[in-house]
Amino acid sequence: MERTRFQSFALYAGLAVVCGILLFPIYWLFVTALSTLAEIRQLPPSFWPAEPQWSTFTKVASERPILLWLWNSTLAAIGSVGLSMVVSVFAGYSLSRFSLRGGRSLGLFILTAKMLPATLLVIPLFGIFRSIGLLGSLWSLVLAHATLIIPFTTWMLKGYFDTIPRELEQAAMVDGCSPLGAMFRVVLPVATPGLAATALYAFVLSWADYAYARTFLTNAQGSWTANLGITTMKGEYVTDWNEISAAAVFIALPILLIYLFLERYLVGGLTAGAEK
Amino acid sequence: MAGISIQNVYKNYGALNVLKEFSLEIADGEFVVLVGPSGCGKSTMLKILAGLEPASGGKILIGDTDVTDLAPGDRDIAMVFQNYALYPHLTVGQNIGFGLKMRGTPKAEIDKRVREVAKILAVDHLLDRRPKALSGGQRQRVALGRAIVREPRAFLMDEPLSNLDAKLRVHTRAEISALHKRIGVTTVYVTHDQIEAMTMADRVVIMRDGVIQQIADPDTLFARPANLFVAGFIGSPGMNFLRARVEGGRLTLFGQTFDAPAGRGDGEVIVGIRPEHLALGQGNVTFTVKPTLVESLGSEKYVYFEPGEHAHSAASRDEERGKGLIARIAHAGPIREGEELLLSFDPSEIHLFDAKTERAMN
Repeated sequence: MERTRFQSFALYAGLAVVCGILLFPIYWLFVTALSTLAEIRQLPPSFWPAEPQWSTFTKVASERPILLWLWNSTLAAIGSVGLSMVVSVFAGYSLSRFSLRGGRSLGLFILTAKMLPATLLVIPLFGIFRSIGLLGSLWSLVLAHATLIIPFTTWMLKGYFDTIPRELEQAAMVDGCSPLGAMFRVVLPVATPGLAATALYAFVLSWADYAYARTFLTNAQGSWTANLGITTMKGEYVTDWNEISAAAVFIALPILLIYLFLERYLVGGLTAGAEK
Repeated sequence: MAGISIQNVYKNYGALNVLKEFSLEIADGEFVVLVGPSGCGKSTMLKILAGLEPASGGKILIGDTDVTDLAPGDRDIAMVFQNYALYPHLTVGQNIGFGLKMRGTPKAEIDKRVREVAKILAVDHLLDRRPKALSGGQRQRVALGRAIVREPRAFLMDEPLSNLDAKLRVHTRAEISALHKRIGVTTVYVTHDQIEAMTMADRVVIMRDGVIQQIADPDTLFARPANLFVAGFIGSPGMNFLRARVEGGRLTLFGQTFDAPAGRGDGEVIVGIRPEHLALGQGNVTFTVKPTLVESLGSEKYVYFEPGEHAHSAASRDEERGKGLIARIAHAGPIREGEELLLSFDPSEIHLFDAKTERAMN
């Protein structure tokens, strides 16, 4: 059915409003980073600085260990994504394909774990990491993030595996694959968009964490992640909001780049053509 | 190539017995079709044969090898799935060659055989495309190619034509038959379409509720159905069934009394008459009907009529027909609904079934 001119206008207008709402904080972050402190404090606020202060970025990059923080965040995110994906690929696949005794209850139990707020787990995890000597190590963050991420990613992947026809694995097994071989050679390549979306989601969850990093890494400055580091830029008497915003832009960039890199895998429809 | 021996195979899902003591000997090179309505166990049997489902009991031999507990890949069979199940991330060439690659065939040999098979199936110009860029018919051919390239001991086909449109289905049906004649590999083919079964099979296995109803070649199935179910399942339109009594060796139908086929004792029977065995005009047993509906197919007409007060129709496969009967008249002139019409049949062509057991009596 063809859209009328009014329907098209309404559609684009609606999209523009939604995009505006979603993108405004990012725009405001960028504007704040480029503004002087005086411009930030002025009322009414200015929507674009008179003289964009690009030097704020170089100042933050040179005066703060932002690269170390980013590196630590990256290590923690890669570690937790890797660990979570390995566990949830197998868990999600099993929940999707096998009718295990109590499998449904197990699935719901994982779902329940999803409902627990991160702050609820901070204290027990702190106790565990202290007793095994992981406090201050990025490994504590990797493990803690994995406990948060795995329930989400397991269910995301289960849902994706459910959409892949079982006949594909059966065909692969008739062609000579073992069940595990069919999974690796056929199911996982076909599930690439789902894996990419899940990995991105997991990465963002880990990248955005503050509570765990603040609890487990406070006394180990060399292990500070970006989110933890950025909070130390807030002074007791004076806060340079433009510098904090510039640092926040640095922190947001990797997510943006990863999204751009994974975008082609995020597009669904790879299973098109498998069946009729 | 090899024959297949299925010995007393059964399958239970908990308390549900979906396949009951299935036994079948398939000769080397034979084309056997398993046919029956949905839920009759035909696809389950095929999956057990492929090794994709474990049997609850029984034994399967392919050639002299007991494959009952072997993995699908170790059975040296190939399977064509209802939905084709092409690997969407691989090209047509890679799809066809996948099984060879899994068996460690050298790349040059894979390329050679893939090209040969692609040429046979006329998909050699599509080797670099992905499945999503193919039409339904092309996907079907690629699925066939993936099966035949390995030169397996047996082909298993699970309703491979059900997703094609009517015209392409007829065409592909003929192609599969021709392909079977050419390469002569033992084939087990599952379908719910009796026309596919009758046109393609050397032998047809008719199943219902997990039980084999009859195993026979298509002509025997049509001419000598073992029971009421087979009689109603085979043939289009389905056989007409009427309740009647044999008394003193004589049968009364449509108000006409005639000698029942030899050897029948007295009692209630179900009489089966194929629509094509009802002729227009005078014959051995003639009766008058008033057509309730006439459908013209050009070269033939389907004449629907009520059995009348002297006869009561019994079970019919074509449930939408209700209690009505049907005559299939070839090369008929004008026939009008509601106007009296003379129909006749030859008593030697009727089928008698026991009213209680529903087994064929003649």
